[in-house]
Amino acid sequence: MQLKLAATEAWQPLPASEWNEAAARHLLRRAGWSALPADVVRAVPVGLPATLDRLFPSTGPVFAQPRLVANLQEDTPDFARKIAASASDGERRLVQREARERTQLALQDMSIRWLQFAAQPENAAYAKWILFLSDVYVVSAEKVKNAALIWQHFDIIARNSLGPAPALAKAVSRSPAMINYLDLNQNRREAPNENFARELFELFLLGEGHYSEADIKEAARAFTGYRQQYGVFRFAPRQHDMRAKTIFGQSGLFSGDDVIDLAFQQPAAATFLPKEMVSFYLSDVALPPGYLEPLGETWHASGFDLRALARNFFGSRIFFAQEFRGDFIKSPVQFYLGLVQDLQLNVAPLPRQVLVPLRQMGQTLFTPPNVRGWVGGRTWISSATLAQRRQLVESLFAPIREDTLNADEQIELMAARAAGRSAFSVSDQLLAPISRLEPTAAADALVANFLALRSAPEFRGSVRQFLANNSADEAQRLRRVRRATVTLLQSPEYQLC
Amino acid sequence: MPANHSTAAFPTTRREFLQASGRGIGLLAFSHFAPAFLVNSAMAATTGPETGRPILVLVQLAGGNDGLNTLVPFEDANYYRLRPTLGLAKDKVLQLSDTVGLHPSCGALHELFHDGKLAVVQNVGYPNPNRSHFRSTEIWETASGSNEFLSEGWIGRYLDNACTGQPADDHDPVGIHISNGVPQSFQSHHDHPTFGLIPGGGNRRENEENRQLLESLVKQQPPENDNAAFLKHTLMDALVTEKKVQRVIGDYRPSASYPSNAFASSLRNVAALIAAGLPTRVYFVSLSGFDTHSNQANQQANLLARLSSGLAAFQEDLEKHRLDGQVMTMTFSEFGRRPSENESRGTDHGTAAPLFVMGSRVKGGLHGTAPSLALAANQDLTFSTDFRSVYATMLDGWMHSSSQAVLGGKFGALPIV
Repeated sequence: MQLKLAATEAWQPLPASEWNEAAARHLLRRAGWSALPADVVRAVPVGLPATLDRLFPSTGPVFAQPRLVANLQEDTPDFARKIAASASDGERRLVQREARERTQLALQDMSIRWLQFAAQPENAAYAKWILFLSDVYVVSAEKVKNAALIWQHFDIIARNSLGPAPALAKAVSRSPAMINYLDLNQNRREAPNENFARELFELFLLGEGHYSEADIKEAARAFTGYRQQYGVFRFAPRQHDMRAKTIFGQSGLFSGDDVIDLAFQQPAAATFLPKEMVSFYLSDVALPPGYLEPLGETWHASGFDLRALARNFFGSRIFFAQEFRGDFIKSPVQFYLGLVQDLQLNVAPLPRQVLVPLRQMGQTLFTPPNVRGWVGGRTWISSATLAQRRQLVESLFAPIREDTLNADEQIELMAARAAGRSAFSVSDQLLAPISRLEPTAAADALVANFLALRSAPEFRGSVRQFLANNSADEAQRLRRVRRATVTLLQSPEYQLC
Repeated sequence: MPANHSTAAFPTTRREFLQASGRGIGLLAFSHFAPAFLVNSAMAATTGPETGRPILVLVQLAGGNDGLNTLVPFEDANYYRLRPTLGLAKDKVLQLSDTVGLHPSCGALHELFHDGKLAVVQNVGYPNPNRSHFRSTEIWETASGSNEFLSEGWIGRYLDNACTGQPADDHDPVGIHISNGVPQSFQSHHDHPTFGLIPGGGNRRENEENRQLLESLVKQQPPENDNAAFLKHTLMDALVTEKKVQRVIGDYRPSASYPSNAFASSLRNVAALIAAGLPTRVYFVSLSGFDTHSNQANQQANLLARLSSGLAAFQEDLEKHRLDGQVMTMTFSEFGRRPSENESRGTDHGTAAPLFVMGSRVKGGLHGTAPSLALAANQDLTFSTDFRSVYATMLDGWMHSSSQAVLGGKFGALPIV
C-alpha cells in the first residue's frame, strides 16, 4: 500500500480545515455503525475534538445485566449442587440439560439486548469499542457455556476499556470466562497449562515473533492458581508456583500481573493494539512498515491509556486519508445495526428475524469462531452471505407477518410495543420527504444518507435515472423511492463504509 | 424437456452477462478476479447436462406441527383422554390403517397415500429433546445431537461433500430456498452457489426494477481493484442467477392448478425451476404458523389444508411434466406438540412427530412405529425413529451421497426409497 502521508505525519491531528461533512460521515460510520444526518449536522460545527469527546467519554454507558442472565447467575451454584448430588446419570443429565437450555435462552436474550443497546446512536461508538476489545480478548460462549460469565467478561472489558491497557489485561486474566476459555483453571503448579500464557503474548499483547517458547513456559507458571467459581475469581496460593521465573531475559518471583507489566515493557506491545485497531477500524490491508511506531510511541508515553489511543487514532490525519474512505467491508453486526440506524428502526425482539440472519451472514454474537476472533474483511463476503444481506434488507421493508410468529415471539413483540419500541419495518414517513424532491436532489439525498461512496457521479446518475421515470402520483413516487432505497442498501457500495 | 429452450435466451454465465451488458469490456478490463471465473466457465462448458439427477425438496413446517392431530391414533383411548376437546373423532379421520388416520384437512395427501406416493414416518425425533423453537430448529437443520452445537447445516455438508472440487456449472445454484432468510440447513464450509427467493415471490414488477437498478450499479466501474470491485463480482453471480430464476418462474406454465396461497406458489416456483433443468439438487420451502398454543383446531386445519393441497398440486404438476421420477419431497418440523392439550384449547411444545415423504419413487405407506400414549398428564412422547435416520436414508438412498460423511455417524436406513 502506497500512502500519500509520511509515517511521521500520519498520526498528527487532522487539521480543522479538513473537518467537514464527508469527514464526519467517515468518522461516524467507522467509529460507530452509521452516519445519521442529524449527527453529521451536529458534529461539523463543534469540531473533531469535541466530537471525539462525545464518542469516547471518560466513562462509557453501561450495558446492564439482562434479567435472564442475572437469574442464571443466581441459579448457577444451585445447578452445580444438583449436578454433584444427582443420584444417577439420568438425573444428572436432566439438570445439565436444564442448565444448558437456560444459558441458551439467556444468551439469546442478551444478544438481542446488546443489539438494542448498541443501536442507540449515543452508545454506538462505545459499544463498537467494546466489541473491538472483545475481538482481541476473545472468549466464546460455545466453550464457556454460561451466559452469565460471558456478560461478566464484557462488563470487565467495559469497565477497563478507557483506562490503562495493562489494567485491562490484568482484569481480563481474572475474568472467569477467560479462566474457563483458555484453561487457566487447569493451570497447576505441578502441571502448568500454557494456553492462556501463549494467547496472552500471541493474540492479546505482543504478536507472533515477539516472545520465545521459553517465555511462554515461564509465564504459564506465573498464572498458576488462577481459579474461578460461579463467576468469582479466586487465587489458589497452593496451586501457585512461587518459584523464580525468567521471562524476556528478566528473573524474579513474578506474579501474573508482573508478567503483564513485563510484556508491556516489550517494544512490540506499543504497536500491537494499534495494529489490531487498524484492521478492525481502518483497512483490511496492513499499513506499510514504520507507520505504527509513531502512534505506539505516543500511546506508550500516555501510560498505554486506551482513551488516549482511541482519540489519537480517530483524530489522526491517516484515519481520514482518502485512500481509506468508503472501502472497508462492514461486518454483519455493522451491516445490521447500520440498517437499523439508517432506517430509524428498533431492533426487533425476535431471535429468528435478527440473530438468525446475523448467524447466516457469519457473525454470531459472543461466539467468535476461535481465539483469533473474527477475521473480517473479504471473509465476510460469499454468495451466500451476500444473498442473506440482501434478504435482510428486503425483510426490513416488509411488515412483520404476525400470523407466522411463534407464541413466545408474539409475547416479546407485545412487550416491546408496550415499551414504546414498535418500528420494526421501514415506515413511509422516513422516505416521504425524499419522494417529494426532484430526481436529482432525491438521488443526492439517498446517496449522501446511506453510502460512503468513492465513485459518486455515475452511481448518482443511475439512481437519478431510476427516479426520473417516476409518475406524478404521490403514492407511486413513494413506492419507487422505496424500491430505490432497497436497491441502494443491497448494492455493493452499502456493504462498504 | 421444456427446460433448455427457455434458458438459452438469456445470459447464464458471468461472461455472457458482461457481453450482454454492453459495458462489459470495461468491467473485464479492470477485473483482477476474472481469470478464476473464466477458467471455471470454460471447464463448466465441458461438463454434461445435469438433468435427471435426483432432487430433494424440503418443506419446513415452522412453529412445531402437532403430530397427534396430523396422524391420529383413533383407536387409542389415551388419545381421547389426552385430547378432550381437540381429539378428532374416528369418523372424521382419513384412515390409513386400522389404527391411524390423517387429519380431515389432508384429503389430497390421503389420496397420494393410497396411490403409494406418500410415506408417513411415525414418531420421528431425537434423544434429549429441546423444546425451544430456535434451538430445536437448529438441531434439525444441522443434524446435530441435542448437546452438540454445529454451525454447518446438513444440506451444506452434503454440498461440501458432493460439490467440492467440481467446477460449478455456470454458477447455477445447487440449492434454492424460498424462505425469509437462508436456512441454516444450507450453511456450509465451502462456498456453494445457493439462491434465495422471498415466499410469495414478492411483487414481480418491483423485483424486476430492483434487479435492473442493481445491475446498472454493479456494472459501474470502480476506480481500482478494491473491495468494491470484489463485492461487485460476487453480486454479479447472484444477479445472473436471479435473472435466470425470475425468467424461468415468469415463463412457467404449470400443468396443475395450484391453490392461491404463498406456500403453493412457492411450490409452483420450485416446479418451474425443476422443469427448467437447473442443476439445483435441493430446494427448501417453508410454511409457518404451527405454534398453536391456543385455539389450535382451526389454525392447524387451515395449515394442513394448505400443506396437503399444495403438495398434491406440486406432485400432479411434476407428473404431468414427467419430472416426478426425479423429485422427492420431505417435510420436517422442529418438534411435535404435547400430547395433553392445554387450558386454551391448544397444545404446548413437545417432542416427536410424524413426517411425510412424497414422490413417485417413494416406498409409500406407514413406516416406523406409533408412539405410546400411556402417558401421565403433560408427559411427552418418546421418539422411535431418529430424524437422522430419515436424513441418512435420503442421502444414501436418494441423493447417492454418503450419510456417514455428512452426518458424522451411522444412522440406520428406513425402507422409504
